[in-house]
Amino acid sequence: MTPLLRNIFVVARRDFLSIVATPTFLLFLLAPLFMIGMGALGGFGASQLADSARGAGRVVAVVDPGDVEALREADARLRDALPGGKPATLELRVATSGVDPVTIAQEKGRDTYAVMIGPLAAPRIVEREANSRSGRYLALLATEVLRARAAGPIAPAAPHFESLTRGGTSIAAQQSIGFGAVFVIFLLTLLLAGQSVGMLAEEKGNKVIEILAAAVPLESVFLGKLIGLLGVAILFIAFWMAMAIGAGLVMLTQIDPAAAAQAGASAPQLVLAVAPATGWPFFILAAFLYFVMAFLLLGAVFLGVGAQAATVREIQMLSLPITIFQVAMLSLSSAAANAPGSRLATIAQLIPFSSPLAMAARAATDDAKAVHLLALGWQAIWVALVVYVSVRLFRSGVLSGRRDWRFWKRTKGVAADTAARR
Amino acid sequence: MIDLSVEAKGLTKYFGAFRAVDNVSLEVPTGTIYGVLGPNGAGKTTSLRMMLGIVDPDAGESRLLGGRTPQMVRHRVGYLPEERGLYPGMKAREAIAFMGALRGLDWAEGRRRAADFMSELSLERVIDEKIRKMSKGMAQMVQLIGSIVHAPDLIVLDEPFSGLDPVNQERLEMLVRRERDRGATILFSTHVMAHAERLCDRIAIIARSAGRFEGTVDAARALLPMQVRYTPRTDDPALARILPVGAERRGEAWQFPIEDDAVEPLLARITASGHGVAGLSIVRPALHDAFVHIVRQVDAGFDADPETDAIEESAA
Repeated sequence: MTPLLRNIFVVARRDFLSIVATPTFLLFLLAPLFMIGMGALGGFGASQLADSARGAGRVVAVVDPGDVEALREADARLRDALPGGKPATLELRVATSGVDPVTIAQEKGRDTYAVMIGPLAAPRIVEREANSRSGRYLALLATEVLRARAAGPIAPAAPHFESLTRGGTSIAAQQSIGFGAVFVIFLLTLLLAGQSVGMLAEEKGNKVIEILAAAVPLESVFLGKLIGLLGVAILFIAFWMAMAIGAGLVMLTQIDPAAAAQAGASAPQLVLAVAPATGWPFFILAAFLYFVMAFLLLGAVFLGVGAQAATVREIQMLSLPITIFQVAMLSLSSAAANAPGSRLATIAQLIPFSSPLAMAARAATDDAKAVHLLALGWQAIWVALVVYVSVRLFRSGVLSGRRDWRFWKRTKGVAADTAARR
Repeated sequence: MIDLSVEAKGLTKYFGAFRAVDNVSLEVPTGTIYGVLGPNGAGKTTSLRMMLGIVDPDAGESRLLGGRTPQMVRHRVGYLPEERGLYPGMKAREAIAFMGALRGLDWAEGRRRAADFMSELSLERVIDEKIRKMSKGMAQMVQLIGSIVHAPDLIVLDEPFSGLDPVNQERLEMLVRRERDRGATILFSTHVMAHAERLCDRIAIIARSAGRFEGTVDAARALLPMQVRYTPRTDDPALARILPVGAERRGEAWQFPIEDDAVEPLLARITASGHGVAGLSIVRPALHDAFVHIVRQVDAGFDADPETDAIEESAA
């Protein structure tokens, strides 16, 4: 092991253990559990709300007794075949004299989207909103009944359905995979790399930085800290991956094999049928490596900025622009993921801070593999560059104890010096 | 030619417009204990940091252990910074091993040596104690051990005695001598003269950002004339005539400075005068006096400027 690597490892080991071997790490590790819990609770509430709303919505047809059955059959035929969301529940009422559709539409307890009344050939339809889907659905039902009556009984078509399970993944699905990778990498990076902002402040706070700076090159200190934190991040991800796989296996054991066989293609098989252009193994490896690069790049920026800050407040203030910058990179990469092969995508792949995200998306839609090696090298160069610049700034500014190193205070500082000199 | 462990030439450092270190040069012979003395804010710490390559000088250069750059010989140097710092959550043994590992020492060997050092310094009961639970003095001793655990060839200690009780100060002195006997070169800064006087083979005095003296402790003390304290047996005001000009009477005794070559003639005059000798001491001034003398001389050359002093203090 070269001295540089050894030094990096010593610093990384200390940082890794100091984070992992604390009770607070357990809280950090289990934090997503709270997130999942809150999400599940929110989702449950939302679905309850949606369910109740769905149950309450209706369209009403007030028709002659002879039309009721025909309309019910037409509704059963059309309801499932229509693309998009299903129409509101159809309520059929037998027409009596003096029925006012407006009164029905305003009945309390349920949402009534449209009411149809009168003969099917020329019905009157009262809608809550003009040109609503519900109103047109009622009109369609009426037309369907009339058409069926005019044509007489017809034998239904006997189609033979074929499924394209082996026909390759659609581009839209691949783009979705790409976008998913972009978002997951961004989220993990933002959640985990953000911690690096305070690391040098900690060293300055407990005055260990002087020992480190005297003993090893500052590059080793910066890289060691990044890699220590990366280790924590990988441990975090590995833990949750293991949990997810474990949960998946437990769920598999709960499925009745007979039912699965009856269902034909099971859900996991369907998921596997959707594949990124480079194939799952390569894609997962590439996504992991791009996560590492995104983490190192963002972590290095956070670390460098945090190293410049003198107080916690300054750290918070300085980390906000970086977060905004990172979100901008996410937007760029997402746009690139949705337009593979475009000029925008190429730009996103070239800009070093969006490159890991955009290239992960590219691995989903483009089957070229060698380009990823090039991208990883390009990103690694930028990690080194960011660390180098951070170290130079830290060394010439903070460590030298200069009072004029903060560019936004420099003019003032020099003026003060000059005044003091006089 | 003398083998030098530290060779610093013309080190200069500016903090903004303020010159914190002005053309300081230092040559520390290998195997010696060398003291860098100076008042608060003189530029000692900045000079040491430049010598070790922690900060870059604006002018001048530093070579360590046979003409190498500080970066090349990091693993052969031990450094105790002025601002003490350890990870509060680390146990003493691990902290020492960590500092050793930074300098290339194997972790296991570091832990073993940590136990030896701590036992020797009567700190064995806190060896597996976390730093945050220790007293400031104990933590300082732990850091000191961490600075020398890898048996460095050059040991640089910035104000090592400050914050230590007299017992620990003596232990530290013992440790410094032992490291010197092992063959290491020790360079330390202090403004407590007693330690420098007892320990140092050579000293340098830095005041007002610049080097003002370099040499042995005796040479520094020789900058001032010897001091005589003479108590006659008889009380006769005429005695003043045989004593040098400037002799002051304090109680029954007379006090005055004397040059080296005037000692024997004085003794002859006293004997011949018949006033007798109830008490007589002729001593070299302590390093403390020489130091104060040098610093005052330097200060006299400057216009006292409170604002500049304040900048100097904050920069240090």
